[in-house]
Amino acid sequence: MDSGIWAYIARRFLFLIPLLLGLSIVMFTLIHAAPGDPVTAMMGERAASNPEFVEQRQKQLGLDKPVPVQYLYWIGNILQGDFGKAYTFNRTPVLELIGQRFWSTVQLQFIALLIGLMIAVPVGIVSATRQYSKLDNVVTVSSFVGLALPNFWLALLLQIWIGVKLGWLPVISTGQASADFPERVKYFILPVIVLSLPHIAYFARFMRSSMLEVINQDYVTVARAKGLGPNKVLYGHALRNALIPMVTVIGLQLPQILGGAVIIEQIFAWPGLGDLAFKAIGQRDYPVILAVTLLAGAGVMIINVLVDVVYVMIDPRVKLTGAQ
Amino acid sequence: MQLSPAQAEKQRTVERGSIPLEAVAKKRQWATVRRFAENRLAVVGLFVIIVLYALAIFAPVIQRYPYDEITSGMRNKPPSWDHWMGTDRNGRDVYSRIIKGGQISLAAGFASVVIIMTVGISLGAMAGFFGGFVDSGLMRFTDILLSVPLLLLLITAASLFEPGLRTTVIVIGLSSWPGTARIVRGQFMQLKGQEYVTAARAIGATPLRIMAKHLFPNAFAVIIVQATIWLSYAILLEASLSYLGLGVRIPTPSWGNVLQDGQRELIAGAWWLTFFPGLAIFITVLSFNLMGDGLRDALDPRHRRR
Repeated sequence: MDSGIWAYIARRFLFLIPLLLGLSIVMFTLIHAAPGDPVTAMMGERAASNPEFVEQRQKQLGLDKPVPVQYLYWIGNILQGDFGKAYTFNRTPVLELIGQRFWSTVQLQFIALLIGLMIAVPVGIVSATRQYSKLDNVVTVSSFVGLALPNFWLALLLQIWIGVKLGWLPVISTGQASADFPERVKYFILPVIVLSLPHIAYFARFMRSSMLEVINQDYVTVARAKGLGPNKVLYGHALRNALIPMVTVIGLQLPQILGGAVIIEQIFAWPGLGDLAFKAIGQRDYPVILAVTLLAGAGVMIINVLVDVVYVMIDPRVKLTGAQ
Repeated sequence: MQLSPAQAEKQRTVERGSIPLEAVAKKRQWATVRRFAENRLAVVGLFVIIVLYALAIFAPVIQRYPYDEITSGMRNKPPSWDHWMGTDRNGRDVYSRIIKGGQISLAAGFASVVIIMTVGISLGAMAGFFGGFVDSGLMRFTDILLSVPLLLLLITAASLFEPGLRTTVIVIGLSSWPGTARIVRGQFMQLKGQEYVTAARAIGATPLRIMAKHLFPNAFAVIIVQATIWLSYAILLEASLSYLGLGVRIPTPSWGNVLQDGQRELIAGAWWLTFFPGLAIFITVLSFNLMGDGLRDALDPRHRRR
């Protein structure tokens, strides 16, 4: 851990600036290339009979200017930390809207990820140490099943079966925020099951193959040959190395989380970022759509950098090149 | 002992000895088929996929009622001998709608993958072969596209343009190619250093010819695995978009919108409207994944996972 790593991190972060500008241009262009405009979308049928009002409103929102000019205004404000006000949502400032919903999504997704990993890692290890056993086959087949289940289908079936038919758990999350701790857990159970299942399937499969690869390495054979007990070999030598590639895989999974959140938050009426994005897209609320995608993109890019940094720190075989 | 790819290649060249190359190629093909056939799960996947495509192709013959025939007095009837998967809110036969929906979903998935592969392979090939600023430019663009969660990008694009089957296919196709482009780029970069490429260059072959005749066939194994995996993703993405009401629009049935249309009847107890379309998506995606996994193992024994 020398100054090299800090130079590396600084360089990677500097590099994100052009990427984020690129992302903002791509998203801005995409949104403005589409036919129709937010004012007409908001007013619906009434727009046709009130052309003057539509024009006035567009002027108010700055939509009458040429697209490149609009972009410069918008990006200029963002660089000063001003993401603007939403067109809808009572014209709440965009950052405030995102702030209200950010933790709701993070809480849910983090719990699902954590539970997913807590189940997947041991399952993957056991499966690898008993390769081709009945248990291993069951794990392999179930992970295929877990990855192929459409999450909205599973969510609906669980809602109707456990929520409505058995009446054990609340179906939607209204009242979740005001509930106290033990009561509040109930609201999390169904969405967490649905969200953690693909994590379990994916990570268990990866953990298994990562572990298998390590077990067949020379240093594990050496450790065994010098008379170490099977558990010491497994947990002292093999496991630590098998966990290293997991960091990358977790990093690769994180970007897709917000995408999955859109559907699950719709089904469970979860007041998170996915729900916000979906509503904003439906109402063509440009500032909100752009802010959510831009922040999601920034989050993903930062996570990617962090994953690489963590990788350098935990895997001594990885050397930094060109950091100086 | 684990051999590095280069070592393994060398060893294989030595083993080959004086056997004519064509015979080796043929033998290798058979070895691939055999390895695939040994994987029971993959074979089951392939079989189910064949059945699914057959059902889609022969949909007009197989559906027992016209998929859009509305029968009064048949609202939300549970599965029975006459209606294997029950009827929906409008008294339409769910089985027939799922067969027809399968045709739409499989076709949409296939068309999306054609776009993904065309864009992904051509851009990836260019980046890998030419390198330099072509490569860095294209790769930065994939970085940008990959930073937005795919489903979020799809929902944004799909909702802004006129929703429908065509929009869905185009949107999925044009948003999902970066992963493939990167993999093809990696393959091409690796392959272009090989001696036969240098030889081809030396005798004056054009870049296009080198890419098409020398690099593409050698990257084919990786490409076919990518295509299989994307077939399952594309079907899942189409279903998700249609489920959110942003994909294929009613009255044209697709598995996603049949499910979405049926879910509001769940509270009334009409589970079959949600269960069967979801089951169809699940079985299809599962089969593609099983087959894709088997293909990967069979085509690239060095990367065999088990």
